[in-house]
Amino acid sequence: MSLAQKARYNFMKDLGAPALLWLQEAQRKKRSRKPNPYLGPPLKCAGRLREIMTRHYYLSRFTKGAKPVAWVTSGAPVELLRVFDFYTIYPENHGALCGAQKKGPEICSEAEKKGYHPDLCSYARIDLGHAFSGKTPAGRLPRPDLLFCANNICQTVLYWYKELSYYWDIPLIIFDTPYNFQDIRKKDIEYMVRQFEEMIPELERISGRKYSHDRFRKIISIARESASTWGRVLATMKHRPAPMSIFDAFVHLAPIVSLRGLPVALDYYRILLDELEERIAKGIGAVTNERKRLMWDNIAVWFNLRDWSSLFAERGFNFVAATYTNAWAETIHYLDERFPFESMARAYSLVILNNNLSNRLKLMEQMIRDYEIDGLVILSLRSCKPYSVGQYDIRRLLGDRLGIRSVVIESDMTDFRTYSEEQTRTRLEAFFEALEV
Amino acid sequence: MTRKDYLLNQKQKGRHLFGVFPAQYPKELLWAMDIVPAEIWDPPLEITAANAHLQPYICSVVKLGLELVLEGKCDMLDGFLFPHTCDSIQNIASVIRDCLSENKPCYFFYHPKNPHGKAARDYYVLELKNLTLSLEKQLGPLNPDALKQRIQQGHKISGLFGEFYDLRAKGKLDVGNREFYEQLRRGEYLFPDDLIPELEGFLARNKGKEKKGLTPVILSGVLPNPPEILTLLDDLGVSVAHDDLLIGSRRLLVPPSNLKDPFKQLAESYFSMPPCSTKGAPIVERREYLLHLIKATGAKGVIFNVVKFCEPEWFDVPNLTDELKKRGTSTLVLDTELNQGLSGQMKTRVEAFVEMIS
Ligand code: SF4
Repeated sequence: MSLAQKARYNFMKDLGAPALLWLQEAQRKKRSRKPNPYLGPPLKCAGRLREIMTRHYYLSRFTKGAKPVAWVTSGAPVELLRVFDFYTIYPENHGALCGAQKKGPEICSEAEKKGYHPDLCSYARIDLGHAFSGKTPAGRLPRPDLLFCANNICQTVLYWYKELSYYWDIPLIIFDTPYNFQDIRKKDIEYMVRQFEEMIPELERISGRKYSHDRFRKIISIARESASTWGRVLATMKHRPAPMSIFDAFVHLAPIVSLRGLPVALDYYRILLDELEERIAKGIGAVTNERKRLMWDNIAVWFNLRDWSSLFAERGFNFVAATYTNAWAETIHYLDERFPFESMARAYSLVILNNNLSNRLKLMEQMIRDYEIDGLVILSLRSCKPYSVGQYDIRRLLGDRLGIRSVVIESDMTDFRTYSEEQTRTRLEAFFEALEV
Repeated sequence: MTRKDYLLNQKQKGRHLFGVFPAQYPKELLWAMDIVPAEIWDPPLEITAANAHLQPYICSVVKLGLELVLEGKCDMLDGFLFPHTCDSIQNIASVIRDCLSENKPCYFFYHPKNPHGKAARDYYVLELKNLTLSLEKQLGPLNPDALKQRIQQGHKISGLFGEFYDLRAKGKLDVGNREFYEQLRRGEYLFPDDLIPELEGFLARNKGKEKKGLTPVILSGVLPNPPEILTLLDDLGVSVAHDDLLIGSRRLLVPPSNLKDPFKQLAESYFSMPPCSTKGAPIVERREYLLHLIKATGAKGVIFNVVKFCEPEWFDVPNLTDELKKRGTSTLVLDTELNQGLSGQMKTRVEAFVEMIS
C-alpha cells in the first residue's frame, strides 16, 4: 500500500467526504417532499443514516492502494476480515440501492447481454452487470482484492462469486456452512472452525497484515453489541402504535449488513434506539392510525418501498415484523469473544436460510405471537430460491395452526420487468377485505 | 422389466428401497446396507399437484420429484435421501419432511462446497460416517466387508462406464445417442449385482463396430432431456462423443482410490471426480475439463442443454461458452424443460447448429 494513496484516502475521509455530505444535504432540503398524512413524522435518524452510507460508498473510491478491498456476501462472517482492515463492499446492499433507484433492469441487462439468464438472482445480475459496464448509482465501486462468500444464505452466491473471481482473476474465499437439515452438530462447528483457521494465512497474504486475536475479540464484541441493539430496535415495534415500520427497518438495516463489526454501526443503532424509545414515550407511531399489524416474509421490493408504504398506511395497516430484517438479530447473539471461532460458526450457520423449514415455521409462529400480527404478506421472489421454496406450505401451516390470514404476492426485489402491478393490487385488495372481517 | 417392476422385485428379495434425489451421494454405502437407491430425476409425469407447493420458477427436476411423492408413487419406498445439490433440493427436502408430514425416514447428505481445503475432505469422511450411523439406526449395522465389496463393484462399474465413453470417443460403440443414454441411465436404479452383467453384455454386443461419418459433439448440462433431442441428433448424423452431464461423466467417471480405509477411499474418489457446478467447481476446472473432452473426441461443437431455472448450471454457461468460442469451438445453448418434447423452435436451432459444424 503506498503512502500517497493512504494520504489521499485520509484526506477524503476528513475533508472530501464531509464536504460532499454537506452539499448533498443542502440539495435534499431544497427538494423535500410534502408530508404523507397517513404516516407519522419521519425518523430524524434518517439523515445520519444517509450520511453514513454515502460516506461509506464515497470513500470506497479512494481505497486503491490505501486499504485492501473485499466484496462480501451479506451473511458472511465479516468480523474476521475486519481484523485485516479490509474495506468491505456488499454487492447485495449495492443491489438494493440500484433497486431503490429503479436501476435494476438497466444494470441487469448488462449481464444478460453477456449471456446471464434473466431467471438468475437479480442481485447477481446487477453485480455482474456493474462489473461488466461500470454502471452504478453509487458513482464508482472499487475493484476488489478479495471475494468473500458464505453459502449460509444461498448457493447462488457461490455460483455468482465464482464468476467474479474468474472474470477478474482474483482470489475467492468460501466459507462453507453445512445446511441444518437436523440440529447443528459438533462436527459441523469443527468443520467451520477449521475453515477459519485455513483462511487466516490467505487473508494475511492478501491484506499484508498480521492476524491479531485481541483485535478479533474486540470486533466480535462490537458486532454482537450492534446486532443486539438492532434486535432491540426491531423489538420497539412490539409497541402499539409501533414507532417505526418494516419499511423503515428495510432502510435502516444497511449498517448492520454492511458495517457490522465497526463502531459506527453500533453508535448509529444506539441513536436510533433512543429516538424510537422517545417516540414510544410520546405515542408517535409510524402509521398515524395503526389498526392492523402485519408481518412481511422475504426481502424487500426495493423499487416499490415508498408506494407500498403509503398503500398500507392509508388503510391503517402497519408492517411491524419481517423475517428478513430479523435475520441480523436472530443469531448474532451467539457471538462470544471468549470462543470467537466456535461462536462465529454457530452464529452464521444458524441463520434462517441455512436452517430447515420446521425452524422457520417455529420462528414465524413466535414472531406472529410476540408482535401480535393480524396478517401475513408473503413475497414470492423469483430471484431467491432458498427464501421462496416452501413458502406455500408455510402459509398453509401457519393458517392451520394460528388462523392467520395471508396473501402471496409475486415480484422481484429489483428487476421490475417481471412485476405485475395489476395482479398484485387485485391480490392485495382481496387480502385487505379479508383482514377487515 | 420396467423400473417399477424391478424395484418391486428387489423389495420382494428383502432389499430396502430408497428414493434418492439428485445428484452426488455415496451409492456404495447404500448398496452395502442392502439399499437399492432409486434416483428421482425426471419421472414421466405431468406436473399438477406439485404446482400447489412450488412456484412457477422452480425447475422441473424438483417439481417432478415432488409430484412423484404427492401422487403416492413413493409408497413402496423405505426412505428418502436428499443430497445437498442446490437451494431448491435443499428446501424441497425440508418441505417433504417438515411440511407434508411424510413419515418415511428422510436422510440428508451434505457434500462440501469448498472443495480444495483439507477441512472439506475430513468433513466429507465424517459426513459419510454420520450417514452410516443414521442408516444403521433404521436398518441395523453396516458390514465392513460388504462396504469393501460394494466399493470394488463401484470401481468396476466406473471402469465399464469409462470404457463406454472411450469407445464412443473413438466412434467404436455401435449405438445411437438415445440407446446409449438409456443404457447409461439404467444405473440410476439397478443394483450393482445386476448392473455389472448388464453393462458387460451391452459392451460385448456393441463394441468394436466403428461408425464412420458421424459429427462428434459434447453434451453439457444436467440431463440429456427431452430424450427427443438425442433422437434428433441421431437423425442428423451427430454422435454425442462424450458428455459433461451431471447424470453422465460428472458422476459416473469415479477414479478408484487405493487407500485402506473405505470411508477415506470414498472421499478420495469423490474429490477426484470431474468438476461439477453443484460441487462449487471453479470455472477454470470446468473449462479445462471441456477442452480435454473436445481434444480427446475431436468434437466439432458443445451443446449446453440446460434445464430451465437450474441456477448452478446457468451461472457457468456464459463464461464457458465464451472461452470455447475464443478457442474456435462452436456452442449451442438450449433452455429446456425435461419432459415436454422438442419444440419446433428448438429443433430448428439444433438443425442450424449441426449444419454449421458438419
Ligand atoms: S436474493 Fe436470495 S438467491 Fe439472491 S443473493 Fe440473496 S439469498 Fe441469494
